[in-house]
Amino acid sequence: MFEPEDDFVERVIQQLRRPVTIDPGLDARVMREIAAVPPAQRRVWPWWSLLAAAAVLSALLITRPWTRDAGQSGPDAFQFILVAPQAASVSLVGDFNDWDPKRAPMQTAQGIWATVVNLAPGRYRYAFLVNGVEWRADPGAPAAKDDEFGTPSSVVTVGGRGS
Amino acid sequence: MGIDKVEPSDAELVRRVRAGDIGAYGALVSRYRDRLGRYAVHMIGDHEDAEEALQDSFVRAYRSLARCYDPARFGAWLYGILVNRCRTTGARAARRRRMFVRDADALNGAAHADQADRLEWTDSVDRALARLAPEYREAFLLKHVEDLEYEQIAELTGAGISALKMRVKRAREQLQKYLREAEHV
Repeated sequence: MFEPEDDFVERVIQQLRRPVTIDPGLDARVMREIAAVPPAQRRVWPWWSLLAAAAVLSALLITRPWTRDAGQSGPDAFQFILVAPQAASVSLVGDFNDWDPKRAPMQTAQGIWATVVNLAPGRYRYAFLVNGVEWRADPGAPAAKDDEFGTPSSVVTVGGRGS
Repeated sequence: MGIDKVEPSDAELVRRVRAGDIGAYGALVSRYRDRLGRYAVHMIGDHEDAEEALQDSFVRAYRSLARCYDPARFGAWLYGILVNRCRTTGARAARRRRMFVRDADALNGAAHADQADRLEWTDSVDRALARLAPEYREAFLLKHVEDLEYEQIAELTGAGISALKMRVKRAREQLQKYLREAEHV
């Protein structure tokens, strides 16, 4: 005689709920790996650093308005734009700034939000954080399909020089 | 009477990590290692691959901690990262899956008949689980083994609740079928 399905599956579930032995060395391996990585902190910047950043940004806007400057090494400046007339604040967050909204707050002019960041060649995931709570992917960029963090995001690929 | 040790909450530990206390992350790893490890082992089927996926998930979570907007739900957020990582690993591992064939000597050497039976049952369950389609296995494990609500599973997997219920139902039916077959081999 077969036992009823519910009892049978219950026996399977009890078996699977038993603890599984995980190598206790895993903790140490994780900690070693992350020790080499700066944590994604919400940093508080001193007032003078904001002034310095504003000066650098102004210089950037005047001398290199979001165009790639062939022949120079180092990252290039890219402008990110989001049209959000109802938003009170928008930040650009992505792999390039540890997803920290404080590091790339966007400036608005009549509901068009913009900011400029320097990016070295590579593939980056990013999103816009609206009003500090609402995640939005970039409607003008490919969606990130491999994003496991549960919020929408987009992908930008920056090619190397000559690419 | 006595002194109870009060463990810091996930939210408190996340706050400490963000403030630069890496050691606090160690407490989060210890807290979630075994539970998430069990899911990874059952989902992937290969212990080594599962530990690799688990380790990678912890490191990814650390690197993206700024995206954990509700630190009180760190565990659920971490689960989401692991579920996704297991999907990637599972797709790779399926191509080179090692079946759980217990060494015949181990069975013969079992001290008691009931011990041998238990080993055999464990192997049968592992084999049956490995035969399920990954989306059925995932839904079954999250619902029945990890004891999550359908709403939580939907949030983690991106699947609709009715689809998840169907997957769990099919998984139950298939597990029973595969295990009955094994009993009659």
